[in-house]
Amino acid sequence: MAHHQQQSRAHLTLSDRLYDIASNVYNNYTARVFLIAIITIWAVMTFTFALVRLMPGNPLDVLIEQILTAEGVSYQEAYDRVAASFNIDSDATTLDQYFQWLGDLLRLDLGTSITSPGTKVIDEIARFLPWTVFAVGTGLLISFVLGIFAGMPMAYYRGSKLDHILSFFSSFSTGVPNYIWGLLIIIVPGIAWRWFDIGALRGTYDAGLTPGLNAEFILSALEHAALPVFTYVIAILGTWMLSMKSSTTGVLNEDYVNVAEARGLKERTVISSYVGRNAALPLFTQLTISIGFVLSSGVVVEEIFVYWGIGHHLFQSITVRDYTSLQGVVLLLTAAIVFSNLFADLTYGLLDPRVRVSGEK
Amino acid sequence: MIKRFLLVSALLCALGMLAFAPVQAEGETLSVAWPYQVPPTGHFNTFASGGITLGQYMDLHEPPLAVLMWATGEYAGMVAEEFGWDDDGNYVIKVAEGYSWSDGSHITADDVMATFNIFRLRGDAVWANMTGIEKVDDYTVKFHMSAPSSLAERIILTTNLRPASVFGDIADRAAMMSPDDDGWNDLLQELTEFRPESPVSGGPYTILPDTITEASLMLELNPGGFAGDIQNYDMVQMWNGETEVVTPLVANAELHYITHGIPPTTEEDFANRGIDIVRSGMNNGPGLYVNHDVYPLNMVEVRQAIAYAIDRIQNGFVSLGESGVAVEYMTGMSDGLSEAWLSDDTLDMLNTYDHDLMKAEELLMSAGFSRDDMGNWMDDNGDALAFELTFPQEYADWSAAAENATAQLNDFGFDITARGVQFQQHPQDIYSSNFEMAIRNWGLGDPIPGRSYLQAYNRYNGQGEVAGEGAGAGMNFDNNVSYSGGMINVFDVSNASSQGTDAMEQASLVSQLAISYNELLPAIPLWERYTNNALNRNFIMVPDSSDSVFANFGGGADNWMTYLILTGVTAPADM
Repeated sequence: MAHHQQQSRAHLTLSDRLYDIASNVYNNYTARVFLIAIITIWAVMTFTFALVRLMPGNPLDVLIEQILTAEGVSYQEAYDRVAASFNIDSDATTLDQYFQWLGDLLRLDLGTSITSPGTKVIDEIARFLPWTVFAVGTGLLISFVLGIFAGMPMAYYRGSKLDHILSFFSSFSTGVPNYIWGLLIIIVPGIAWRWFDIGALRGTYDAGLTPGLNAEFILSALEHAALPVFTYVIAILGTWMLSMKSSTTGVLNEDYVNVAEARGLKERTVISSYVGRNAALPLFTQLTISIGFVLSSGVVVEEIFVYWGIGHHLFQSITVRDYTSLQGVVLLLTAAIVFSNLFADLTYGLLDPRVRVSGEK
Repeated sequence: MIKRFLLVSALLCALGMLAFAPVQAEGETLSVAWPYQVPPTGHFNTFASGGITLGQYMDLHEPPLAVLMWATGEYAGMVAEEFGWDDDGNYVIKVAEGYSWSDGSHITADDVMATFNIFRLRGDAVWANMTGIEKVDDYTVKFHMSAPSSLAERIILTTNLRPASVFGDIADRAAMMSPDDDGWNDLLQELTEFRPESPVSGGPYTILPDTITEASLMLELNPGGFAGDIQNYDMVQMWNGETEVVTPLVANAELHYITHGIPPTTEEDFANRGIDIVRSGMNNGPGLYVNHDVYPLNMVEVRQAIAYAIDRIQNGFVSLGESGVAVEYMTGMSDGLSEAWLSDDTLDMLNTYDHDLMKAEELLMSAGFSRDDMGNWMDDNGDALAFELTFPQEYADWSAAAENATAQLNDFGFDITARGVQFQQHPQDIYSSNFEMAIRNWGLGDPIPGRSYLQAYNRYNGQGEVAGEGAGAGMNFDNNVSYSGGMINVFDVSNASSQGTDAMEQASLVSQLAISYNELLPAIPLWERYTNNALNRNFIMVPDSSDSVFANFGGGADNWMTYLILTGVTAPADM
């Protein structure tokens, strides 16, 4: 009897503990949104796992078709050779593959590439990811800073020639997609005017250099990133300018700005401490969320400039139906977007005391 | 604030100008292109998927045993200086002495043994005719054959040699095993995951690993390798990318020769820039396939009427400009192969199905078909000749061919609806018989005629079950055919025509295939694709376009450019 009661208490204790954990997670905002983020990522990845396998063609078909067209052998022979080359276990069911993949993922193992057997997906991501983060991230930051500085005078001098010119540029910049800007840069200054050798600026750095913290490599990387970064800046800049103009215009009508001016504060102080800071706040949230989209926004630009980052790798994985590589990249993109939103949620209170105070109440 | 903004803008412009400063071009470097993957996805195991092989330029670092000269039908020895059948029906090759790999090891019979033993491990087609391989001496290898075959000879001789110093260990272990052994699959996995640290070249040029970027890679002269002593370049720059990526480089004169297919508008732009367009017949092109289970497409009169109703010259030109050359003989193989393999008498008796709407009309009328009040054709059951024609939508030239053929047939009174299908799904639909009419390729980029017929009689006919998407039978054509020459099984004859070494006997079988195809038109060839290689002769000196070497279109083996490099002919224009 005593033994039974001990067991029952242990059982209740475990249940209680689980209940406590669930309650704590539910009642704790940070834990709750974090859990939702994890569930979101799992759902997206499961959907992706199914979706890529529903796409027409598979990794074997792609190569089989090439062999059939080039050599005219029988389908069976082409299939056998490709299967040998890939070393694929074609007998594994989709469900087996899913649980295998999920199990590996829990051990943080993204598997190996299907089309390049033996190459780890994580190594491929490590090869391509930094260049996208560098180029798109730099473009995003430059455009953000420029947008803030250009957007404020647009609001201050709204209706002036400066406002009209900058507003026209902003609308034009926003309306033209980044790949059109990329093509224009290649065709006009590159081919028509011959300002630079297109080929020499391709790639992420010059051949023969070893990546590292040395001046030659850093300068080379900067030179090769110039065109993609310029493209990202010019394509995104207009959005920040218009957002900043709109935000500043709203702040200029606030009472505290009028009070500050009435108190006789210097114009520079009013602009920087009263208008600028408050107008830029909503843009910080927008910037934080944009960071999540950094990784996925450069697919076409990376192709145009042959500046291979994670966007190119995603495109290549889709083209050859490399399921494992594709899943690895999609996981990365999903996690980036979900966690950047999470980050924005959790940090906005730190940036805006009004939100923090309101939350505490 | 405005001053600050202008200052920042000026600073950015200055930085931009620095970044865009022109870079000095290299000196005497051969500048060509082929797509590849960079490491770690790309690697130096050329037996495994993902290997940096560089397509036809593989000949430069892993040289072939021989090259077939398409104009004469004769093989020119490369690494193999002697080759041929012995009295026992086995094939013997002797490797030229005096050449070495870039790691210092000599090119010998061991390399041939290693290469073919790895082929056996992979299950390559060449072993279908082989029973074994024997090292006769340090430079001689004998291929034991089940039966002599010109196809086997071609596969052996066009093989790119790999170094035993790199692959010998795996090859030796494979030679000691059979596919039924327990360790066979493990060894195969070891092969596919094997990553040589650096490339080892036996040809005139070696890949420099440190130069591999997304943009290009460099190959430096390998003086000890095959043909390394007769080269006119110190380096080869291999630009990376498909057509849309390399096109600006050609326009900017940074890239001097590409084999990529280019659209007619780009071709015109290149021509305006003084860039030569080299055209070689590719022995294949788009054809109009029909599902023979769909009435009345199974009627030969209907297929013949379709052939007459489509102006193939127009169809080819709107699809690919001057590189879309209308098929003349309609034999199921290219006109070049027809002229090479068929007698003049046979050529004369072929129906060329020249564009003739009256003849098309007569054929349909003779089958009991008629036109309705609107002028549209009705079959003998009173049903409209309404079909769906599918095509791979991503292929610009095939899409144009489909739409043009649809328009021409509809003008004639058919009711065809063209529909684009994702390019990877489209062949699966054909294998599964899930189509009525479709644009797929006729012929094959190969000089052996029998292999051209396997596209129609094998690939698109009866492989549905193996092809995986269903249990269809492709275009449902009965390979047992009756024609003016009697009854034959066209699939069997296709295979038989590339067996043996008696050219007369092979030509006789090819004639049967050609005539029966011409009469029955199981699929209707539209036009032959010709290359439109962009060649900037301001930088590269090769023979005039009239030279017979340009018959070697060589999508893989036998390419004319790599042949000219290996023979020391290709040179800088200013030499």
